[in-house]
Amino acid sequence: MSQLSPLDYAVISQALIAAAREMGVKLIRSAYSTILREARDGSAGLMDRHGNTVAQAELIPMQLGPIGETLRACLRRHPADTLQEGDFLINNDPFEGGQHIPDVFIFTPIFVAGRVVGFGASVAHHLDLGGGAPGLNIHASDVYQEGLRFPPSKYDFARDWNGGSFERLVTANVRVPDLTIGDFNAQFAANAIGVLRVKQLCERYGADKVEAAMQEMQDYSERRVRAAIAQAPKGTFYGEDAVDDDGLTDEPLVVKAKVTIGDAEVEIDFEGTCGQVKRNLNCPYSSTLSAALSCVKSVLTSPDIPYNEGMARPIHITVPYGSLLNPRPPAPVRARMIPAYRAFNAVMKALAQALPDKVIATGFDSTTALCLSHLGDMGYSVYLEIFGGGYGASRDADGCDAVDSPLSNCSNAPVESLDIDYDFFRIVGYELAPDSFGLGARRGGAGFIRRCEILKDDVQLAIYSDRFRLAPEGLQGGEPGQRGYCRILRANGRVEELRSKAAVDLARGDLVEMFVGGGGGFGRLAERPDAMIERDLADGMITRDPRAARKLAAE
Amino acid sequence: MRVGVEVGGTFTDLVAVEDGRVIVTKVPSTPRSPDVGAFAALTASGIDLARIEDLGHGSTVATNAVLERKGAAVAFVATQGFRDLLFMQRHDRRNIYDLFYAKPAPPVRRKDCFEVPERIAADGAIDTSLDEATVRSALIPALKAGGYRAVAICLLNAYANPAHEQRLAALIGEALPDVLVTASHQVAREFREFERASTTLLSAYVQPVIDGYLHRFESKLAQSGFRGRFTVMQSNGGRLPAEAMRQSAITALYSGPAAGVVGATRQAARSGFDNLITFDMGGTSTDVCLVQEGRPSLASESEIDGLPIRTPVLDIVSVGAGGGSIAWVDDGGMLRVGPQSAGADPGPACYGKGGMEPTTTDAHIVIGTIRPGAFLGGRMTLDGAAARQAFEPLAKRFALGIEQAASSALQLADANIVRAIQLVSTERGRDPRDYALVPFGGAGPLHAARIAEELGISTIVVPPSAGVISAYGLVASDYTKFDAVTRKMKLDDAAAAEAGRVFAEMRTRLAGQFADMNLPGELVYTHTLDMRFVGQAFEVGVEIPASRLGALDAAYLAGLFADAHHRTFMHGATLDRPVEIVTLRVGATLPIGTAPRLDRETEASRGTDTTRIFHGEAWIDCIRHTAEALGPGQVIAGPAVVEGYTATTWVPPGWTATLDEADNMILRRSS
Repeated sequence: MSQLSPLDYAVISQALIAAAREMGVKLIRSAYSTILREARDGSAGLMDRHGNTVAQAELIPMQLGPIGETLRACLRRHPADTLQEGDFLINNDPFEGGQHIPDVFIFTPIFVAGRVVGFGASVAHHLDLGGGAPGLNIHASDVYQEGLRFPPSKYDFARDWNGGSFERLVTANVRVPDLTIGDFNAQFAANAIGVLRVKQLCERYGADKVEAAMQEMQDYSERRVRAAIAQAPKGTFYGEDAVDDDGLTDEPLVVKAKVTIGDAEVEIDFEGTCGQVKRNLNCPYSSTLSAALSCVKSVLTSPDIPYNEGMARPIHITVPYGSLLNPRPPAPVRARMIPAYRAFNAVMKALAQALPDKVIATGFDSTTALCLSHLGDMGYSVYLEIFGGGYGASRDADGCDAVDSPLSNCSNAPVESLDIDYDFFRIVGYELAPDSFGLGARRGGAGFIRRCEILKDDVQLAIYSDRFRLAPEGLQGGEPGQRGYCRILRANGRVEELRSKAAVDLARGDLVEMFVGGGGGFGRLAERPDAMIERDLADGMITRDPRAARKLAAE
Repeated sequence: MRVGVEVGGTFTDLVAVEDGRVIVTKVPSTPRSPDVGAFAALTASGIDLARIEDLGHGSTVATNAVLERKGAAVAFVATQGFRDLLFMQRHDRRNIYDLFYAKPAPPVRRKDCFEVPERIAADGAIDTSLDEATVRSALIPALKAGGYRAVAICLLNAYANPAHEQRLAALIGEALPDVLVTASHQVAREFREFERASTTLLSAYVQPVIDGYLHRFESKLAQSGFRGRFTVMQSNGGRLPAEAMRQSAITALYSGPAAGVVGATRQAARSGFDNLITFDMGGTSTDVCLVQEGRPSLASESEIDGLPIRTPVLDIVSVGAGGGSIAWVDDGGMLRVGPQSAGADPGPACYGKGGMEPTTTDAHIVIGTIRPGAFLGGRMTLDGAAARQAFEPLAKRFALGIEQAASSALQLADANIVRAIQLVSTERGRDPRDYALVPFGGAGPLHAARIAEELGISTIVVPPSAGVISAYGLVASDYTKFDAVTRKMKLDDAAAAEAGRVFAEMRTRLAGQFADMNLPGELVYTHTLDMRFVGQAFEVGVEIPASRLGALDAAYLAGLFADAHHRTFMHGATLDRPVEIVTLRVGATLPIGTAPRLDRETEASRGTDTTRIFHGEAWIDCIRHTAEALGPGQVIAGPAVVEGYTATTWVPPGWTATLDEADNMILRRSS
């Protein structure tokens, strides 16, 4: 740090953050599949030469957290000094630093004067990477049925991509190769932008200063996190939540967290969490880390602290091997967001005891993946969309309505865009759900309903979701939010309720009604100001005056 | 006489031009009723209103109506199943780690949102007819009961076929003749329903406010003997007659920055420069725009208060770096400048109005580029000791001298502006070295040279009266209207021919609108196709040269698209993928002919003297000139400071400055 003036540091670090942001914008804007281009299920960032995250485009918290883990798994096999200009590293292996199969991480080394100074990194959720069913195989009993696995490996872009053997291997194993290869190209392009910007910075300021700034950025985040920890109440706190079930039985999958706040460090131990399960609800280690870190960061620090490797240094996380949150291979892991959310909730509930003003009540906090596919004359057509729900309420504010859940940040696909792109279904309703949240001094955010009309025969539906059985709890006397459901209204008038993890065949005229619930309330309803109740009544967000029941209870 | 009156947040500026004579006036703004400040400026300038032929006006009325939620009581009508469009938004968050996140709030309540049974398909086919019985029996009584001033309609796929919106608007109009009805196809005929709905709602929301404001302004003008043409600035860089603006309120948002870009572009053109990067550095922020061949870049979308607006606007990027921006240290020990600003009150420490925080203006005083006794042509005296004192804590914190701390703050502010310029240039595939930098606003010319050095730019054009260029832009801008239509077609020769046909239709429609506005003359058109590779969701705009419009073919358009895509994304040109046309855009401009000439305002001339400036790591001697005393052709070698009434220019070592025939000061890097 000695050769780095405060000015150099401020300028270079801001430029690195700007470069990461630019990478993210270009990744999304040049992508092909709806899941990446409309839902924006991808992320990008810059790494130092040791595989530590330096700067990130803030897109999807879940993917961002452990990019370092994913890259370091590659570097253990292919150390930075053995890489050549033109190489790239790739990894989506859930048991070697990756998350789930669809999230493919690509790293491009940045060479300055023959030396690797860092990496451009991008990750995208790919619409389909083969496996047992289009887009989403909810019946997978091992990771092999979930799609093509890329172990941490190295390829040469010029030789192996752009018509090369690796590209042909991928093309041959995926159902919508046009979109998938297009999305890979968007990742390569995003990385190329990052590489170019870092090279320009090195030209302007010297590689040593840029590398020093990369280290200082991590130290900076670490200092700010430690400062925040120092101010938090000390002690050991416990939290617990559960996944509805594993899709086979009705047994809840319990997740437990023990959080110890020390003078400048936080320890999180998931001891007591249930064992791994037979279906795709297992959460790879990287994903568990990401969920716990995102929770601690969101609660402890102000949003402007850059998320990088330094941020994670004061936080120590232990996860029992063979548990739901650190499964042994070859466990299926496709729906890992669900257990990851319960890890997030368990840590939040523990922190709520120490820092009640900085937390929110439990929200719907689930990733609902809804996949519709149809095999027509022109090949597969796959639609995959991610839904959140309502946020939990906090001491000062109602929870956010109808938004993606905290570990994710997917956009919806515009209905008019779906109308253009798909001919086998259309969206016929997209509404806030009244009464879907927990009341309290502050209410939870509302959930919502998306209704989908099927326009052709032989359409397959696959979903995974959660909180169809176990509602999100309120905090400090707040009421719980509503549970979700997925319902098929058949053309013949029959109504089918699906489990939260299900697959079913659909025909023309069927209607799919997907409902995601709201968040839990915060504080007692008796303390909710009349004006807020009246506003919700007028807007139709609540359909009954809760004060009537309140009065009745008082009498 | 041509007069521009620009109402800003702090000052209302007036520029009057007549036969080479320029009058510049600055008066305090009156935020509650901006027209009061505007008329105060007219009075202060001593101009006889009867002699004004052309009065251009820009104000923050529309912007403030949205920001302060002071628009009309408005209802929103959507297709059945989609009344919550404006609240659902895009399901994402702007800050991913904020647990207390709240979505941007549209200026309408859920109780004021309604729906009607109907459905149009993406190709425009009518899938479910508009249920007029329900409209009459349910919707109209509800609208009557709500007491709305305005109704915004956005039906699904109306961009492809507006029939249902038109019919619905007519039904509402018949039943509620006093209510202003705005349908989405009138403001943005493009796909993506939330963005179109938001644009429609905001338009309906501000329209009555703009209408009332302009009506009031026009009557006051008439009472004062004004008989000329009264025009209003738009965010797309063109203006419209006031009576037309009263129907097109959405384009009035953020017109101030656009006026500045147009003024700077016009003035730089006099010296032969037409590839420009303009930057307007004011009190709290800096606005940056790239100008290609004399035409400012356009963006097809912008936002206000987090809500999207889908109409073309000048592609202006704003950063929180201005004269009042505060230098501070965050809790991780990093030096930062802005976005917090000391504003006009208390203002920078040197204003002596109680401000204690060090600002960029204070930094300039510390390093000597601003002279405490010469601010605003000596009309305001600054406290130099207070400026130094404000920087003491920062200097101590980093073990720097006070000058070094001030200099670091300035360079950091420069770096923020550099990043904004990179956003409109390198990130859009343009090399800033191919452009001349045009600084304006009170603080711009002080920072220009250092920013140019960072970007490798070797020419700077400092316009005269750089502090009031926005007001000048109001009388230097053309009349402009834009039209856009989403019409998705896979690119082949038939689609290319169809594009030519749709373009012709759009030109006819625009020509009709100009005729309705009583604006005769030869219109100049621009034609843009938004295209993408099949499968992509974001389009790249490709401008079609007028010379090729008669004979469009697929191969030619695909080539133009591949180039543009590659410039932006650095990949894709080699992909052998099918391309599709998504949206067609036409801009119509009625040139005003020669823009009035903006000369250097005449002030009592002062001579030159010597001074010392902290540059790099040391104090250096330099010469201080007075802008008004310079003669055309006179070459000044840096280091030098040129003081003017509205702005001061810094010419560092290695640069020369020459005043040219157009009264622009051209700075060139000599080493």
